[in-house]
Amino acid sequence: MPALEAAPSVHQTVVSDRREPVSGIVILGCQAPALAHATRPGQFVMVVPPGGERTGAALGVYEAGGERVSLMIAAVGPRTRELAGLAPGARLDMLGPLGNGFDLDALAQRGPTGSAEVALLAGGVGLAPLLLAARGLLERGAGVRLYYGARTGSALVDAESFAALGVAVELSTDDGSRGYHGFVTDLFAASGRVPTALAACGPSPMLRAVARAAQRLGVRAQLSLEETFACGVGACWGCVVPLERASAQAPPFPPPAPGETRDYVHARICKEGPVFWADELRW
Amino acid sequence: MSDAATAARPDLSVALGALRLRLPTLMGSGCYGSGSEYAAFVELSEIGGVVLKSVTRLPRLGNPAPRLVTTPSGLLNAIGLQNPGIDAYLANDVPGFADRPCAVVGSVAGFSVDDYAEVTRRLAARGEIDAIELNISCPNVGSEGETFACDPGLAARATRAAREATRKPLIVKLSPNVTDIAPIARAVEAAGADALAVVNTVRGMAIDVDRQVPRLGNVSGGLSGPAIRPIAVLAVWEVARSVRVPIVGGGGIETARDALEFILAGASAVSIGTANFTDPRAPLNVAAGIRDYLAARGAATLREIVGAANPGYLGAR
Repeated sequence: MPALEAAPSVHQTVVSDRREPVSGIVILGCQAPALAHATRPGQFVMVVPPGGERTGAALGVYEAGGERVSLMIAAVGPRTRELAGLAPGARLDMLGPLGNGFDLDALAQRGPTGSAEVALLAGGVGLAPLLLAARGLLERGAGVRLYYGARTGSALVDAESFAALGVAVELSTDDGSRGYHGFVTDLFAASGRVPTALAACGPSPMLRAVARAAQRLGVRAQLSLEETFACGVGACWGCVVPLERASAQAPPFPPPAPGETRDYVHARICKEGPVFWADELRW
Repeated sequence: MSDAATAARPDLSVALGALRLRLPTLMGSGCYGSGSEYAAFVELSEIGGVVLKSVTRLPRLGNPAPRLVTTPSGLLNAIGLQNPGIDAYLANDVPGFADRPCAVVGSVAGFSVDDYAEVTRRLAARGEIDAIELNISCPNVGSEGETFACDPGLAARATRAAREATRKPLIVKLSPNVTDIAPIARAVEAAGADALAVVNTVRGMAIDVDRQVPRLGNVSGGLSGPAIRPIAVLAVWEVARSVRVPIVGGGGIETARDALEFILAGASAVSIGTANFTDPRAPLNVAAGIRDYLAARGAATLREIVGAANPGYLGAR
């Protein structure tokens, strides 16, 4: 059997199924065999908006298996509302898979006790890229616990998909309407557990809190960053984050110019990321 | 394809000075990387050429994030000319531009006349580079970068310096952020430009009302996308009445009909940038649509409709 092309390409997909577990959050399944085969946990796609909006939408791949990928879409703006409204049978073109994805081998490394216990922290639809990560970590023999937070209970979706894999799930809401009352990073701190590694996806303030928590615990964390993308393919340099020059992910860049005091490089979130080691970011 | 169909296939080729393009679609500087970023999605042989991201004499880390804001029908950016500087660029990047199946136009930015001369000389000397675009109109590097495009005398000095540094085709990219673009276009033409790119982004900003701060790390940025198309079409119209050198028209082109507005105003070729972010197949659709338009009107070449809507068009056809 010829190997399927793993390089990114344009995929002309058809929406196969649509689920709206809670109002405003839609899980859109698409028939996309080559993409399903090629996608690694934590990678994303750029969706070509059917209505011709100005820029495509970057979405983390939620599920990928067989001939199907799915995307988790929070309908918050005109672009995402349009995508969330697509019905089965609709055509949807996407570029992908894009970005680096999680380094699951590194996350699944065993700690001093001989086992690997990975904590996944999700904020809102930052949950999306963590499902494939959870599966991959379990396959590598790691224990996985999901800390999943949202503004309110009705925005917590699909935790059962994680539980079905054998992932322990703990929930939090900002308003206390379900689970722990507070941020997901507070829930994690309150648990008192010290995992062997952390992986997280969500809004930037949450990821910064995860980075601080990881530093306190002396545990490394991989963060999947969210940012506005224009191209999504590394061409425009619009989505950068300051990254330690010594990072293995740092794009090549000459030493600081005369008079230049900033000793870091700007890495593209869409290309060198979206997943970075928390302790290598200079944000 | 039959001989008859081949014969009826309109010729879209254009000449910008000595730069021959098989297709009139150039990918806008800064929007297309070096081309390789899009090679997975598009056959580069189906675009006219790529204008590379601008390079400066010294490395530049670029502006702090956020660098992008989407606005109605537009995209604000303030990248700040992030690039490794000409030394590292020549050593590490330029060798990879060989074998591109489309034209490769190097883009030179600078902060002094000497910068433009030196970077142009060194970049144009490389066989991988088919032509030079002089970026005298970047709005995102303080007042320094765009000053050149906003003053006819300075624009001419930068152009003349680059002209003396290379015999390769020289395109100079003008700014829309001026009171009157015509005298600047004339000064740049007189200083030896082979073609003019019209226009760079329009200055703008956006404010985060919740946090009460500017949304771009650089405070202000350059607006692209369909929001600026009418501004850009008028700029091409006015420049086409002022100079005889060919014009590369651009600003918010997404479709063939958008591109035709620029061509009918007097552009010989078009620049496509932001539209690639929506769909990388946009330039292919533009070229195909232009071909259909010409065929439907019995036109054999694109050249014969350049400036057709503009009674004051001075250029050649």
